[in-house]
Amino acid sequence: MKMGILPQLLKNLFTKPMTVKFPHESIPIPDGYRGEHDYDMNKCISCGLCAKICPNRAIEMVEASKEYRKQYQKTYPKIDLGKCCFCRLCEDICPKDAIKLTKNFFLSTFDPSTVVKYPAPKNEV
Amino acid sequence: MLKKNSMIEITRGSLDTMTNQIKKSTDNEYDLYFGPAHPGSGNFSVKLRVEGEQIISARADPGYLHRGFEKLMEYRLPIQNAVLSDRICILESLNWNLAHAEAVDELMGIEVPPRAKYIRVLMAELSRIQSHIIWYGVLSIGLGFDTGFKMAFAYRDYILDLFELITGGRVYPAGYICPGGVRKDIPKGAKGRILKVLDKINEMIELEKLENPSLTSRTKGVGVLSIKDAIRLGATGPVLRASGMKTDVRRDDPYEIYDELDFEIPVRKEGDAYARYLIGIEEIKESIKILKQVLSRLPDGDFIDSSFRKPKLSAKMPIGDVYIRNEIARGEAGIYMVSNGGNSPYRCKIRGPSFLHMIPVLEYLLKGAQIADVPAIYWSLNICPADMDR
Repeated sequence: MKMGILPQLLKNLFTKPMTVKFPHESIPIPDGYRGEHDYDMNKCISCGLCAKICPNRAIEMVEASKEYRKQYQKTYPKIDLGKCCFCRLCEDICPKDAIKLTKNFFLSTFDPSTVVKYPAPKNEV
Repeated sequence: MLKKNSMIEITRGSLDTMTNQIKKSTDNEYDLYFGPAHPGSGNFSVKLRVEGEQIISARADPGYLHRGFEKLMEYRLPIQNAVLSDRICILESLNWNLAHAEAVDELMGIEVPPRAKYIRVLMAELSRIQSHIIWYGVLSIGLGFDTGFKMAFAYRDYILDLFELITGGRVYPAGYICPGGVRKDIPKGAKGRILKVLDKINEMIELEKLENPSLTSRTKGVGVLSIKDAIRLGATGPVLRASGMKTDVRRDDPYEIYDELDFEIPVRKEGDAYARYLIGIEEIKESIKILKQVLSRLPDGDFIDSSFRKPKLSAKMPIGDVYIRNEIARGEAGIYMVSNGGNSPYRCKIRGPSFLHMIPVLEYLLKGAQIADVPAIYWSLNICPADMDR
């Protein structure tokens, strides 16, 4: 057995592990991260470009739910996170910056109803 | 009537030969499936005909990861196809991004800004290092050298951190290299971080030099592919270079800025699994050299052609066809794109290097080998089931 590995072994005994204790701490997420969508209904002009560019057809233009229909009468994007591949084309094409991808990556869920994001004004969500 | 009879005769004939074969086979002979449920096979299967420990014949059984990219691309816009091209080979998505983007650029006659060209090469080389590290990792785990696997995947994470910083995703860059340039400029602190990561990768190369008897003893002289057979069976990239042919698309047919860069092409004559492994390590060193040159010369300016800054829904592709070949980590990648003047390509044929490595080369090398050598041969070819099935 060669002894070349021994110094490395001793070094590793006194260094921190390469991983972090995930649910309690996380590695720093950089600014350009492609995570969950942040959608601003007030900025949206219902052009439907996001639905057209989406490669996975995860965005569908739908009417707002009954409670908001008086205020918001056009169609708005309904985002299916289960279909979404987080490519950020919707953010790039949006002429009013109404859709933005945030740093939130905690998206796994046991409840299928939370996977689809229905259009709703921002403060209500 | 005549036709029908002859058909029946043919089937009868083949049935006879089949029954004869079954009769001939002794009790020692049996079928062994390496994959798709084998932990070391990936989404791929090889059916081995085995007599004792010796493999008599091998038959590759692909198709477990077919997603139909070539057809999907006919229905999508080039910018959507750029996102799709990530998935051709998951382990080197940026290289495939580059191949796709180059095909569209040439078809549409787009002048890519110089800064974008440098960033493209930067990302492609980082992706190549990352892919070679995985190669080293899976070869190690296939041979029972667990330390190598853990070391490789730990150091790969440093590069994934860079991908996250620059492209916004760890594994999938989502068409970061898109037609016209790249989708985002590299952030301010990225240059220093890349240099730091390169030091770490150098550290890994030094580390794995130390001691790996389990790797050397199981790969030396195993799966020898002579240069004649390598050319006959269609091997490209590191597999062909390990057999003794000095070839590299980056040199032979330079694309982007590779003609301005100074790098060596590692070649070995042995042609065995160990030579292929060494080629991988040498190529990581060469890629580090390329990256340092690119970083020192990175020009200022636009990172994407101004007409492509916003994704377009109605960018018509002119009528014509184009064939692009790129040197990716696994060998030679080709994209043949035909356009009939519509928004999306009329046909897009993808030529992945793994197809020939995983079917003819693998079948040839496994014939006559021992069962214990299967993982060494299989993983030393630097294969990717995703790239083969497409």
